[in-house]
Amino acid sequence: MPICPSCEYRASEWKNIASHMYLMARNSDPSHVMWMNRNLTMKEVDVDNLSIMLENFFSIKDNLSFWIREKFIQKFYGESPHPFILAMQNPTRGVLLGYVIEHQHFLKNWVKVLSEIIFKTDVEEVIKYELENINVEYFGYNGRPSHYELLIRMGESLGMPREKILSYKPLPSTQSAINTWRKIAFESNWVEIMAAMHSLELVADKTLRKYGAKMHYFNETILSSNDFPKEVKDFLREGYEADQTHAGEALKLVDKYAEDPEKIQVTVLRSFDAFAKYLTARLERGMEFDKNLIKVVL
Amino acid sequence: MKIQVNGSKAGDKENGCALCGATWGDYYEEIDGEKLFFCCDVCATEFKNMIEEIKRRTGWKKIDELSIEGNYYKGRNCVAKTEGREYKFYVKFGDDAEIETFKEIE
Repeated sequence: MPICPSCEYRASEWKNIASHMYLMARNSDPSHVMWMNRNLTMKEVDVDNLSIMLENFFSIKDNLSFWIREKFIQKFYGESPHPFILAMQNPTRGVLLGYVIEHQHFLKNWVKVLSEIIFKTDVEEVIKYELENINVEYFGYNGRPSHYELLIRMGESLGMPREKILSYKPLPSTQSAINTWRKIAFESNWVEIMAAMHSLELVADKTLRKYGAKMHYFNETILSSNDFPKEVKDFLREGYEADQTHAGEALKLVDKYAEDPEKIQVTVLRSFDAFAKYLTARLERGMEFDKNLIKVVL
Repeated sequence: MKIQVNGSKAGDKENGCALCGATWGDYYEEIDGEKLFFCCDVCATEFKNMIEEIKRRTGWKKIDELSIEGNYYKGRNCVAKTEGREYKFYVKFGDDAEIETFKEIE
């Protein structure tokens, strides 16, 4: 059932949603205007055209997970890839330290939000899936260090002591993104939370180029290069190998249990918004160590 | 004030919001004696905060030209001009339209 992506007003037809959004935008309501600016078009269109655009935007051609993948690519890997992803094609020490310092906060929040999925579901395969994910991220598995530990070691290999890394508070953009994900965790049902969080793992999914992404999350030659410490390669390789499976499996579960696809779509877009802001925070932190990094965001 | 957003003229309903370039909305604010168009009050507040910060840092009384490149996600790379002088900076706004990051560019 069509839904307003800004305030979640429901109607039986997209035309009604378009009329509602058009009116809200005419009244300069920031939330509605911003949603259209960021997702649909910055140029005002009439209600009929808006209706068509909304219907096309939310139309699920194959399955929900395919729609999520398509939107993720458009937002982060499309015509104008996110500056952090561009920076990861040739990462400096500053880029990687920015990554380490901000991402520790992301990962801590990650497992907290996943625990909310476990709290809210009775589906055993989902509970097992999330527990395994938390384990890999926070405790490690089969004697291998956790993703969190590999991240800290990457920072240490770049010359920053562990205590110093752990002493940083998150930048405001990171905190804002974390607040968004925590709000989603508290207010949404478990399928929405799963979709909102695990779709973010698509960022390192190496199969994205098959679906139209212009580049990979990072330049893969790093993994065999002698220009980077082993710990940098260990961390990047872990995500490279894990996230494809993680995102793919989670989105299959989302497809299987989705009862309200439109609501899931809206929640996923909120999560993407937060993620885009958070990725910029990594660069912003990186600027503290590499002033030239500002050129990446210009 | 002559305003350009991502390469296009901005600041009136026809051309778009003085900060983001969008033509949605119908919000106006008088800034430096000039009525400027914004898509919403958040963009207007961000713009005003930015103008005040430029004036505070440069000591300028007014800004003749302002060029803004970028967006909400990655922040904005700007060039302000007045009486033959030029000031370049990067700005990013927070959730409450406040300036979250402001960096002068050499």
